[in-house]
Amino acid sequence: MASMKKIILYLEWGSILGLLACGLWVFLKLPLESSQGFPQKIMYLHVPTFLSTYLAFFVVFTFSIAYLWKRELVFDQIAKASAEVGLVFCALLLATGAIWGRTTWGTYWVWDARLTTTLLLFLIFMGYFLLRMSVNDRDKEARLASVLGIIGCLDIPIIHKSVQWWRTLHQPSTLFKVESGAAKPSMPPELLYPLIASAVVMLVFYLYLLLLRLQTEKRRETLNQLLAEIQN
Amino acid sequence: MKTRTKFVIGGAVIFAVIAALSVQGLQEMTVFFYTPAEVLASPDEFENKTIRIGALVQKDSVEWDAQAIELSFKITEDSKNFIPVFYAGVKPDLFREGQGVVVEGKMKGQRFVAGQLLVKHSEEYTVETDHKKSKEDYYRSIQAQ
Repeated sequence: MASMKKIILYLEWGSILGLLACGLWVFLKLPLESSQGFPQKIMYLHVPTFLSTYLAFFVVFTFSIAYLWKRELVFDQIAKASAEVGLVFCALLLATGAIWGRTTWGTYWVWDARLTTTLLLFLIFMGYFLLRMSVNDRDKEARLASVLGIIGCLDIPIIHKSVQWWRTLHQPSTLFKVESGAAKPSMPPELLYPLIASAVVMLVFYLYLLLLRLQTEKRRETLNQLLAEIQN
Repeated sequence: MKTRTKFVIGGAVIFAVIAALSVQGLQEMTVFFYTPAEVLASPDEFENKTIRIGALVQKDSVEWDAQAIELSFKITEDSKNFIPVFYAGVKPDLFREGQGVVVEGKMKGQRFVAGQLLVKHSEEYTVETDHKKSKEDYYRSIQAQ
């Protein structure tokens, strides 16, 4: 898999340079937001993180279905790798949200619908890995994890819609704001473009982590099979 | 203890937390705060009960006593139903007139005594047209603190 190695290398350098460029752009070039001032800059970490979390668990959802349908081990490996990366992004999402909340709302945490459903996602996928670790049969593990993965990902649309369905402390979406049928993000272009750039870079970073983890996972399973052959 | 038993216990704990969050959280979560109109409509129901009210800070209603660290203001969401709020604590950075707030506390007669004051910021982001000036002002303001 020489080409895979190359792709990972490109993604690695893409994320390093991209994250660096976005950081410099955000801290050195961007004007301050009127009402929040400096603390608004954490948005360039918080928003890309939630987009990556959504994508990671969407991949889990897709490949869990694919596994149950085709029973190809590689689909389960992709779902597992993506769930691991997604869990890290979800933790980062909760952490950046708490820091931002402290400076703007005046509290690290409240039990409103947006925050609670996000924590729920984190807990479901902690359970997902416990489930994987507790099953010894590889096929059974993949089957059970796929089912839990599919159910767990149903929380994503709930998280996304929570700010519209219920009264929350968390404000509604800025990026996906729709006004009279058309997408209309409620922020000026000089704040919006770096946000889009940071989101793209974060997705590249996600893809890098996913492929790296998948490669490791494949090698680990190959090694396990070889060890099993030696022992027999 | 066998590894498997540990995982089963760990899993059970996580699912118990999830279940508890869902049951307890769902009621609290779906209505994180009431509006002033709802509270004023049924005063008996809310009297002496810890609740949250979310609304905007009425213009020209803020009285800040820096000596006693006491904050009084009126909140409304429709400019028709007002509730006077009393809060003994530090004014949050983003607290200002016209700002969305969520106060947690109890109705004491006509007045709401808040134990916690949270600022609810909007999804609108704007920048000052004079970037340089606002940046300087901002850094000066944090140095002054």
